[in-house]
Amino acid sequence: MKFKLPFNKKQTPIIVEESIVDGKMITPSKDGFIQQIKDATNNPFDLIIKSIPPNITIIYIDNLVKDQTLNEHIISNLQNKHNETPETIKGALSIPEVDIYGQLEKTIESIIHGSVLIHLDGYPQAVIANITTRESRSLAAPENESQVIGAQVGFNESLSTNISLIRRYIASSDLCNEKFTIGKRTNTSVALLYMNGIANDQMINSLRQRITSLELDALIDSAVLSEMIDDNSLSVFPQMLLTERPDRFCDGLLNGKIGLIVDGSSMAIICPQSFVEFFQSQEDQNLRWHIATFARLLRFTAILLSVFLTPIYVGALTFHYEVIPQAFLVPLSESRALVPFPPVFEALLLEFIIELLREAGARLPTKIGQTIGIVGGIVIGTAAVQAGITSNILLIFVALSALASFTTPSYMMGNVIRLIRFPIIILAGFWGFYGIMLAFCFILIHLLRQSSMGAPYLSPFYPPRLKDMRNSIIRMPIPFTAKRPALTRPTNEEKFDPKPIKPEKS
Amino acid sequence: MKKYNFYLMLLFLSSLLSGCVETNILDKIGLTTIVGYDLGTEEKMEITAVIREVNPEFQSNVEIITTENDTSKGNRMKANRQLSKKITVGQMRVILFGEKLAKENLHYYIDLNLENANVSNGLYMAVVEDETAPLLNYEYKNIDDIGQHIFRLLEQNISQEYMISPTLHETAHDFYSIGRDIAMPIIKRNEEHIEMSGIALFKGGTMVSSLPVKDSFYVKLVRDSFNSGFFETNLKEEEMPPGLLKKPSSEIPIVFDAIRSKRELKLIDASTPEFDLNLKLKARVLEIYPDVNLGDPELVKKLEKTISKNLANEISRVIAHAQEVESDIFGFGEKYRSKVRNSELTKEKWHEMYKNMKVNVNIDFIILRNGVFE
Repeated sequence: MKFKLPFNKKQTPIIVEESIVDGKMITPSKDGFIQQIKDATNNPFDLIIKSIPPNITIIYIDNLVKDQTLNEHIISNLQNKHNETPETIKGALSIPEVDIYGQLEKTIESIIHGSVLIHLDGYPQAVIANITTRESRSLAAPENESQVIGAQVGFNESLSTNISLIRRYIASSDLCNEKFTIGKRTNTSVALLYMNGIANDQMINSLRQRITSLELDALIDSAVLSEMIDDNSLSVFPQMLLTERPDRFCDGLLNGKIGLIVDGSSMAIICPQSFVEFFQSQEDQNLRWHIATFARLLRFTAILLSVFLTPIYVGALTFHYEVIPQAFLVPLSESRALVPFPPVFEALLLEFIIELLREAGARLPTKIGQTIGIVGGIVIGTAAVQAGITSNILLIFVALSALASFTTPSYMMGNVIRLIRFPIIILAGFWGFYGIMLAFCFILIHLLRQSSMGAPYLSPFYPPRLKDMRNSIIRMPIPFTAKRPALTRPTNEEKFDPKPIKPEKS
Repeated sequence: MKKYNFYLMLLFLSSLLSGCVETNILDKIGLTTIVGYDLGTEEKMEITAVIREVNPEFQSNVEIITTENDTSKGNRMKANRQLSKKITVGQMRVILFGEKLAKENLHYYIDLNLENANVSNGLYMAVVEDETAPLLNYEYKNIDDIGQHIFRLLEQNISQEYMISPTLHETAHDFYSIGRDIAMPIIKRNEEHIEMSGIALFKGGTMVSSLPVKDSFYVKLVRDSFNSGFFETNLKEEEMPPGLLKKPSSEIPIVFDAIRSKRELKLIDASTPEFDLNLKLKARVLEIYPDVNLGDPELVKKLEKTISKNLANEISRVIAHAQEVESDIFGFGEKYRSKVRNSELTKEKWHEMYKNMKVNVNIDFIILRNGVFE
């Protein structure tokens, strides 16, 4: 059985598509043109065709255009005009984006994106006025990545809003913005953003190539895109960061990373991203370095706890009773005394219940979701112990590891942390600590083999980069971290010239 | 394709191996906390094991089982026949030897436990006056779990440095190194309590003599450095410098707290052999009768000298006793072996030389502070 990757990852020279020369042209006659448009768009219910005497026809799709602009700047300007040409109409309209196209395909594309077609009887061209309006919600605080100190604004589903947010953070002409269209049926706009002069050209090229060579039917969310274009789609570990925080996105760009924003998705993609960076929060930059370091160490301890605590319980109770401290021995064996199952089964059962609660809490409407916490925490927990299905101590361990897994700032990575616990528990139940070690080695080797846009995933620990370690599981003061991480291979390495931390005392 | 199949097969086959692993589920095993070895009356050895079991009634009870057999494993099988749970030795904390057994030979028992990978090398070993079975089987009024109790008793005294450390690791090391003999604490039952009563001295694997528990301080001083704990000594009147006492009394007890001791052993003459033992001791005086005049620095100097002399006498006495019974628990032989080239020392050879060994004890006792309250 051979796994086939969904796309070709090898770099091939970009083939510039030849522009369609022999496309259908617009018919000059009024009725012919209307019929042409109706055929091409399958005559939808919201296609509005309006004739303005003597020879002007306006066609647009309702709900996609701004009604006010249509009335004030187009219809009122076109009324009572005679013997016009497309060029004069283009000049007469008081709106910024006006074009004249002769090809049918282009006109169809622009009408479904929200343009108004203005056709003059007898001319094989159409004037296209772009007055798009898109429904989008207003800006709100990022719900999945909330933080105490820092900006309280998150991306929303509109591409143009998101880009304007980024441009507000980085007011620089070096901020490059390239547009791609992905999806044969959805024609989703994707923006590729990077800082010219910081980001590595090779990386930009390879990302550009990965996007253009992507043949997708539909692209609904950026998570799909990131899974399609990352280095190893089969790995459980995400290799690109999905974030809904514009400040984190901009910080990434300024460190030489490359960003992708998908229209209609509130999560932006940042790459390359190393494993360690998934456990950093943007808030770490805003706090004093001591506190940020403490928070990061706390998070890394939490991961270890979350992944290994339950397996160690299972391994110690099933095979290695020798390692249990003497003071722990009696309470542990007494709490286990009533449990009829072996420790593996007990642990898996409890982990399963916790996962059920989490999944139910995520799926249910917010109002009911709160009751799930009460039901799960109090009722199931105490009842399970009293019924003698699980031991008290395991309940604490499982709750602790579930709690610890929620400290991961990236939700995607938090999911992985929760998932990889299960095989380790099973291995611990089969082979004890040897099984845990086997799993640990397997995960470590897997992580070592991963890459993110070709950059080593375990950077800065492997390959070791001492300077980058200053901002990894600890955060040194800002003057010590004046260099951009080697992970991104930035064209310009220095962020700024570090001055002495304390001015010299005179 | 073939490659993946191979790995999948390997994974599948290795998962079957999990059936071969022996499980020891905590609530299905009986944890031995103490094992006491005695000489058997009919067969070679008698073993008394203190086993902790956990029952579904949320109670843990302690079973004490005495069996007799020729081998240790045979004893375990015999004990297993009396218990509902499998006996394991991984949580064993203390091994006790009956005095009679210790006077024969412990070689077999040290090897036995050293070779068992399940037995921790950090467990303590001790000798019980007379036999272990009565000590373990006695129903003490205030002691709930005798296994825990004896372990805690030894542990706290050893960590406070009141007693020499007799872990399996150290004992085995001393036993197998040439020019060093083993020593273990002696415990006994005193009415409703268990107490330490002395130090057992061994020659090879055989217990040859014992020292009173008070002397453990001197033994520790000579064996290695000393960093905590306090000690009491009696100064005789004739040793006292004149003018130190406000009113004459025959004996002055003094308690000091040794902060740091430094031991230096020098071989001066390889033929006799003769050693110089230089001990530097810094201490605080914790308790002293008020008729001692400590206000004058001159007198304090003299007091230091007196204590030094007193300590030197005591240490010489302890060493002399050990020499008499040919038990080198201090490791003079190791020093000799490391200093003399091609000595080709064997245990027997050293024990011959050890009898005639001369040790010059020089003690430098310094009182850092006096009148310290704890």
